[in-house]
Amino acid sequence: MATQIIMDRTGDTRHYFDAKDPQALLKAEERFKELTLVGFTAAVRTSSGEAALTRRFDPTAEETLFFPRLVGG
Amino acid sequence: MVRQLTEIGNNYLRRCHAQVVRCGQAFRDWFQELRSPLVSQTRGVKLLREWLSPEQLTQYDATGYFHVIGSESGKRYRICHGTAMNIYEIDLAGNPRNGLCFVPNAPLVAGDVMLAQKIALETDERGALVVAKKFSPSASAFANTALARQRVNRIG
Repeated sequence: MATQIIMDRTGDTRHYFDAKDPQALLKAEERFKELTLVGFTAAVRTSSGEAALTRRFDPTAEETLFFPRLVGG
Repeated sequence: MVRQLTEIGNNYLRRCHAQVVRCGQAFRDWFQELRSPLVSQTRGVKLLREWLSPEQLTQYDATGYFHVIGSESGKRYRICHGTAMNIYEIDLAGNPRNGLCFVPNAPLVAGDVMLAQKIALETDERGALVVAKKFSPSASAFANTALARQRVNRIG
């Protein structure tokens, strides 16, 4: 199961989907676009375990993390 | 007569039952509200721990902070447990040079904030520094890792 993790005030909200299911994949891609459009940054983990930013939906990503835009505190 | 009394009794019991259900629901809501901040904090720290490297995780568990390397400059930063004014650029000797403050523009728990800061510095250091506000690091805040350690322990 692939996962999209969205940071929020509850800690996070997770959306699990089957990456082999075209419908689920389409929905996940739409979610990706909606979130990045409103300013969320998407990150995935590389095979070596490091984080990498991604601007395009990656259908092969096991886990995609979304965090809100960063601002000076 | 008996039928009427039975009906009155049944109505009374139904009202009592509804009242008990309402009270139970109110209690559940109150209890949920009471524990939800702790649940959120715990979830945030769990997510952070999942994304830290093994070295960072060991350091965080031991001290309440972890170090990251800036993606462009190679500088070392210390991210302490917290939600603001919790990042320090550190020199080779481990002393604080600058305090940096940048945070997600939504109310998030500490674990989430620290994870967003870590990813930003490790993948887009320049972008993070553009938005960051600098502050003078006080020696006491920088050195006071015991407090951070306590916070991490409390969250679990």
